[in-house]
Amino acid sequence: MAAVMGTARTHRHKELRRHALIYLGLAPFLVLAVFPIFWMAITAIKQDADLYLMDAVPFWFRQAPTWKNFDFLFHHTSYGDWIVNTMLISFWVSAITILTAVPAGYALARLRLPFAENLGIGIFMTYLVPAIILFIPLARVVSTLDLQDSWWALVVVYPTFTIPFCTWLLMGFFKTVPFEIEEAAMVDGCGQLGALLRVVLPVSWPGVITAIIFSFTLSMQDFLYSLAFVAVSDQKPVPLGVATELIRGDIYFWGSLMAGALLVGVPVAIVYNLFLDKFISGITGAAIK
Amino acid sequence: MSERRPAETHPTTLSRRGFLTTAGGAVAGLTLADMLAARQAPAQIKGTNLRLLIWSHYVPAYDVWFDKFAKEWGDKNGVKVRVDHMPHLELPARYAAEFAAGAGHDLMYYAGQILTGQYYRNLVDVSDLAEGLGKKYGGWLDAAKSAAQVSGQWYAVPDFFISIPVLWRKDLFASVGMGEPKTWEDLRKAAGQLKAKGHPTGMQFSHCNDANHNWRALMYCYGVKETDPTGQNIMIDSKEMREALKFAKAMYDEGMTPEVFSWDDASDNRFLASGVASWIHDAISAFHSTRLTNPKVFEQTFVVPEVAGPGGTWNVGEPNVWAIWKFSKNVPAAKEFIQGLADSQKDAMQASLGYNMPFLRGQYTKPMPYLGNDAKLGKLQDQEKITAFLGFPGPMTPPAQEVVTTFIIPDMFTRVARGGPIEDTMKWGVGEIRRIYAKHKAS
Amino acid sequence: MTQASPGGPPPPGSISVAIGGRVRDTSWWRTPTARRYLFGYTLLAPAVLYVGLLVGVPFAFSLYLAMSDASVGSPVARFVGIENFKSALENAVFYTAVRNTLVFTIGAGILKGVLGTTLAFLLLQPFKGRKVVRALLVIPFTLPIAVSVLGWKWMFDSQFSVINWALSRLSLIGGYGSPDWPVWLGQPGLALFSVMFVNVWRGFPFSAIVLLAGLTSVPPEVLDAAKVDGASFMQRFRKVIVPMIAPILFIGSAFDTVFTLSDLSIVYLLTNGGPDGATEILPTLAYNTGIRGGALGRGAAISLFLFPLLLPAIVLLLRTLRRRQY
Repeated sequence: MAAVMGTARTHRHKELRRHALIYLGLAPFLVLAVFPIFWMAITAIKQDADLYLMDAVPFWFRQAPTWKNFDFLFHHTSYGDWIVNTMLISFWVSAITILTAVPAGYALARLRLPFAENLGIGIFMTYLVPAIILFIPLARVVSTLDLQDSWWALVVVYPTFTIPFCTWLLMGFFKTVPFEIEEAAMVDGCGQLGALLRVVLPVSWPGVITAIIFSFTLSMQDFLYSLAFVAVSDQKPVPLGVATELIRGDIYFWGSLMAGALLVGVPVAIVYNLFLDKFISGITGAAIK
Repeated sequence: MSERRPAETHPTTLSRRGFLTTAGGAVAGLTLADMLAARQAPAQIKGTNLRLLIWSHYVPAYDVWFDKFAKEWGDKNGVKVRVDHMPHLELPARYAAEFAAGAGHDLMYYAGQILTGQYYRNLVDVSDLAEGLGKKYGGWLDAAKSAAQVSGQWYAVPDFFISIPVLWRKDLFASVGMGEPKTWEDLRKAAGQLKAKGHPTGMQFSHCNDANHNWRALMYCYGVKETDPTGQNIMIDSKEMREALKFAKAMYDEGMTPEVFSWDDASDNRFLASGVASWIHDAISAFHSTRLTNPKVFEQTFVVPEVAGPGGTWNVGEPNVWAIWKFSKNVPAAKEFIQGLADSQKDAMQASLGYNMPFLRGQYTKPMPYLGNDAKLGKLQDQEKITAFLGFPGPMTPPAQEVVTTFIIPDMFTRVARGGPIEDTMKWGVGEIRRIYAKHKAS
Repeated sequence: MTQASPGGPPPPGSISVAIGGRVRDTSWWRTPTARRYLFGYTLLAPAVLYVGLLVGVPFAFSLYLAMSDASVGSPVARFVGIENFKSALENAVFYTAVRNTLVFTIGAGILKGVLGTTLAFLLLQPFKGRKVVRALLVIPFTLPIAVSVLGWKWMFDSQFSVINWALSRLSLIGGYGSPDWPVWLGQPGLALFSVMFVNVWRGFPFSAIVLLAGLTSVPPEVLDAAKVDGASFMQRFRKVIVPMIAPILFIGSAFDTVFTLSDLSIVYLLTNGGPDGATEILPTLAYNTGIRGGALGRGAAISLFLFPLLLPAIVLLLRTLRRRQY
């Protein structure tokens, strides 16, 4: 009896120690990742004058915290429009990306086409073409489609950098689907397309979700294209709006800038995290198999 | 405009003061609406659309005024006006995109980065408009032509320029027994003595807009010429330039701290507002913002239009001009708008809190809006006499512009401040400038 | 017509032909192979067309620009061959930009690799609160670049830096105005390090996730077998784990490298290449010369400079990976 109790206690101790070591190891990473976010949050509710007091503690408040920066964001800028635009743009871009990248990924992964390998390499190449030059001919495309100064212009342009990566990602997911399932479906009289739609896709929905999340996140990163194609305030996505309208020459509206950043970043991070496990298994399949 | 001419007064019946007041009153009595009504707006622009792209003014109140003006002008003339604002440094990218697209705004704004020379083949010739304004308002400053003309034709209409004076702390200067600074030597001495007391100065040694302007001001005050007046021959390789570099190094060593190497356009504003700066060389937006963020410091902050160097007194202005794309579908309305804005210059300048300095000589009659009523800013009313622009004494050509956007001048000063040998720096800088000019000549 | 396939089951459809019996000389277009190709290329078409038209054609245009003396106001200009590339090489700042670009990319890559690997190992362990920790760790990656970089700009500020404030309160550095007050964006080496650091801050969660994916895919049986064989941790790591996660590591780094190489925003918003070119990278040099300075041709040449170097490198990398899998 005593021996059993002893083992239980040692086990608990070992667990505690293990946990302690892990937390200790994680601490620097957490501080590194989270401290700026925490500080941005504090700045978002600080008064402007409080920011410029040299002897004040930056992590706390000398003057009372305020919602003024958020208020400014929503009442004196088109931030509300920007958020809606960003969400809509990301939604449509993800839709276009999935519609093009899913078939492409499947074709490259499964159908043993000639030139598949070279096309796979070509995927990487598109990222080497610099946006700072690309935006000029793309401006012509945007205006031909009569989409200048509308956020739809961005919906047309963003897939150029989401499709390649998502194709590669989905390739990986599709490679992990066992042949047998597909075969069985086709023996049942499905045909290749049917097999794809009815069997392969349902099984690899984690991959599709991953691709959606990724193109969502990538769409929110762009700055140059939105700058070149959208000048009208209520059509801007969040990054452009925040960077162009919360900085006026010498004056940075730091409080509102930080507020704007967090309001859009944190929800996306939460959603991202919900699907993180699927994302992980997706990338695994993409490179290993 | 026959009925609205100010009453002619016989000099002997009214004192001079009375005359001025009457004339001033007569002009002031003309409201915006009156002035607009007095001009016959062509009926053809009724019912059309006008799209403007303009920068985000450093004085937020001005943008508020401008947007309101644009709306009222539009209502008055039956034009639907849409105004978009963008930070001035990002405008060139947008214009490149619009040009490639063959579509965009009707009326655009070159703020600081003068692209007239780049795009003139695709800009509407506005000589009639510009000449008209010149005649009406006492003629253009010489520098105005540099920003807007190519081969004698006007492709842009200058709006205003921004001057960059010296903002200094009277109390700090007094504490070391100095009064108002008159020369760069004064500034250097003050900074040196005040740095020891925790009040250094700072001028940007970095890749930012202000760096380009501030160091050029020092250069021109030392008699440095970037090119000859034709803009073709590079003259920067001179004894004066070496002197200017030497002085900058001395001023840095004695009066500044290394933080200036990381400064951007807003850093000197913050420096002043924090109470640390003994003086800064910055546009009066810093003056206005300090009033709000640090009233105590503001009380002691005064303005000097510019200080003198061995080569004279030159202030560097940042020019802003209007241009109309040839592909615009509403050129008449665009022209009318420019005219209307020019006619409302006094309101505009007032709304900008004295920030907008006119390009038209006639608009310098005192008292000027805002500046004339502010004790500290009054001396800026003579600013145009000492203002030079990038490329001085040559015009603001594309190669001069490229020298600006690739930060060659700030880099030269940075190297020297860091201890680099002056001759090597000169060789590098002049070499780069020559290369750029050669490239532009070749094309 | 049956086919020998290199791996996996024979393509569906071929069986039915064989079983169906009538093996005769059908025209190639009706063969299962042809049908497969047709189906495949049809599926590929949307993606290829989209990217081909919107990236490929503009890319060809940018090649043309790079070999002409185009400017923003006149993009149709004279062909000048490799003049612009030669001109770029004559510019001393260009070499600085290339060096900085390489240091930035490789340095950031290594840091992200090291931090990512360590973090991935930690996240591999089961512990309480792992989900929360993971959620917090991905936030740097999900915040839009433009805004998070602006946040860092304020954190690196020469006067009001919160980092300096904290360090000086901990007595690790002097106070404001003292010689050891770091000017993060002003001292040459430090400035390059700071911009690299922001890139690492954004990217290391992504590296960790990718590596975590790789590590979880290592079959435990293989690891156990190695343990049974008496291999130490380091040996297990080197001989078993690394080869298995190598493909994923390479691919992840390849993408990350490519993204980093063409990224303008971090440097542009923090220092715009200053002071005196300390943080000048090829994208900012290209942007300031080509777009803001108006010399499109020369700007295009600068930004495309690394392309001929990277293309063979990436092709080599991917070919090697393919071969390793079989």
